Amino acid sequence: MRKELLVLLTLLGLLAASLAQLGFFDLARLERGARNLLEFSRGMVPPDLGILPLAGRALLETLQMAFVGTTLGFLLALPLGILGTRILFPRTVVVPARLLMAGIRTIPSLLWAVLLVIVVGLGPLAGTLALAAYTVGYLGKLYAEFFDGVDPEVIEAVRGAGASRLHLARFVLWPESANSVLSQLLFMFEYNIRVSSILGFVGAGGIGFYMYVYVNSLEYQRLATLLALIFLLVLGMDLASAWLRRRYLLRT
Amino acid sequence: MDHPATVRCEDLWFSYPGQSPVLRGISLQVPEGAFWAIFGPSGAGKTTLMKCLAGLLRPQRGQIALLGHAVNGNGLPGWLRLKVGYIPQQLGLVRGLTALENVLLGSLGRNGGLGSILGAFPKDEVERAREYLALLGIGQKAREKAYRLSGGERQRVAIARTLLQGPRIIFADEFVSDLDLPRATQILTTLRELGQRQRLTFVMNLHEVEVTHQVADQALVLKAGCLVHQGPARELSTADLLAILQ
Ligand SMILES: Nc1ncnc2c1ncn2[C@@H]1O[C@H](COP(=O)(O)OP(=O)(O)OP(=O)(O)O)[C@@H](O)[C@H]1O
Ligand SMILES: [Mg+2]
Repeated sequence: MRKELLVLLTLLGLLAASLAQLGFFDLARLERGARNLLEFSRGMVPPDLGILPLAGRALLETLQMAFVGTTLGFLLALPLGILGTRILFPRTVVVPARLLMAGIRTIPSLLWAVLLVIVVGLGPLAGTLALAAYTVGYLGKLYAEFFDGVDPEVIEAVRGAGASRLHLARFVLWPESANSVLSQLLFMFEYNIRVSSILGFVGAGGIGFYMYVYVNSLEYQRLATLLALIFLLVLGMDLASAWLRRRYLLRT
Repeated sequence: MDHPATVRCEDLWFSYPGQSPVLRGISLQVPEGAFWAIFGPSGAGKTTLMKCLAGLLRPQRGQIALLGHAVNGNGLPGWLRLKVGYIPQQLGLVRGLTALENVLLGSLGRNGGLGSILGAFPKDEVERAREYLALLGIGQKAREKAYRLSGGERQRVAIARTLLQGPRIIFADEFVSDLDLPRATQILTTLRELGQRQRLTFVMNLHEVEVTHQVADQALVLKAGCLVHQGPARELSTADLLAILQ
């Protein structure tokens, strides 16, 4: 009992110290912040609907980036995930495949975007490739885990009938884990939509570019329109994916 | 010339890593076309013996030969693997595929091309798969997903898959345990007839003595990793089995 109290007190102490260091106890600054926030919010109404055509196009581009990036990433994640499956391949294949995916995953999408802007130049191509890269690293690892969870006895039985590794992937790994695989794909798409709306901050295409411009030029009414659009997109996507999940993925 | 032994093993010893031996010096010779039943209490090592004989586990000591070919423990060579059918205790069906698709998996060793990857199997394979399902009395369930089948139906799908593979030897680990007695007898009789026509050799693990009287020729009893009885199946009664296991 006394030990737990000690742990709790230590944690509280750490929290307080961190808060102080991060500026949470600087009351004058907090008050200034609150006033600014109010002003900022007031500056956002009414939203400037005049930019709707422009914003609509940018939003479509964002959606396309997420769609293409997720698809490309998925198409690469599937074979890489299979190569990372321990019950199918020897260590000499599994370890490099998993290391590659871990390496890709270490770099967050935004950093991928920065790197790819340097490589392929400004614009949505860089952003799309960034999304695809992160998707490969993330989905590939998850898929390898799913595939490894497949009952080895099923693999053994089908392999005994003379199936090749490709057969096993197609006829055992896929049907046994398709639900989880597709469910995670959907999740990844939702995630990529959120991410792709910010990649424009580093010049990698999509609606984020305009957000960046309007923030810097203090055009908050226009910014408000963008934020509302993104909100609607994310909301729509959430509803759509919830429906898809209910309709197709919950049946077992 | 007398029948060559299809399955032969000599002084087989096996233990799982870090445990005492599960198989202790098993020797047996199954002639071609024979139908053998292995009995034994739970944990006696029946599944382990099956897996060793089918080349799925590597025994620490002893020799195994299948169809006259020595098995060295590194798995079976491709051609021999196709000649050996193995039905695991848990059946190893793919839950998300239909009964028919599961049976067709048995033909993958012959159909390595792009068509099979896309799920398009040759017409005659599909026909034979349907015939086997019908033979086993579940022809009407061909389009049903495996996870919606009953235990007994699943067992028959697993049998059909192994039959489609076209093996010379079938090792079956308790594959009629979920069937009622009349049904089990009927299936075993069907297999027996099929086996005699195609000169198939059957080795199976069973719990119920009654089931085998009419079909099996030899009955073996495994107890704590040792073969403690071998004789004509017809002469083994439940009482005998109990006495042996005392
Ligand atoms: N993968 C394994 N690792 C370690 N020990 C195992 C493993 N499989 C089985 N055993 C042990 O080996 C012994 C024999 O198991 P086996 O599965 O061969 O028995 P069985 O005769 O088939 O039993 P049942 O009738 O219940 O299927 C048991 O004591 C079991 O605990
Ligand atoms: Mg067993």
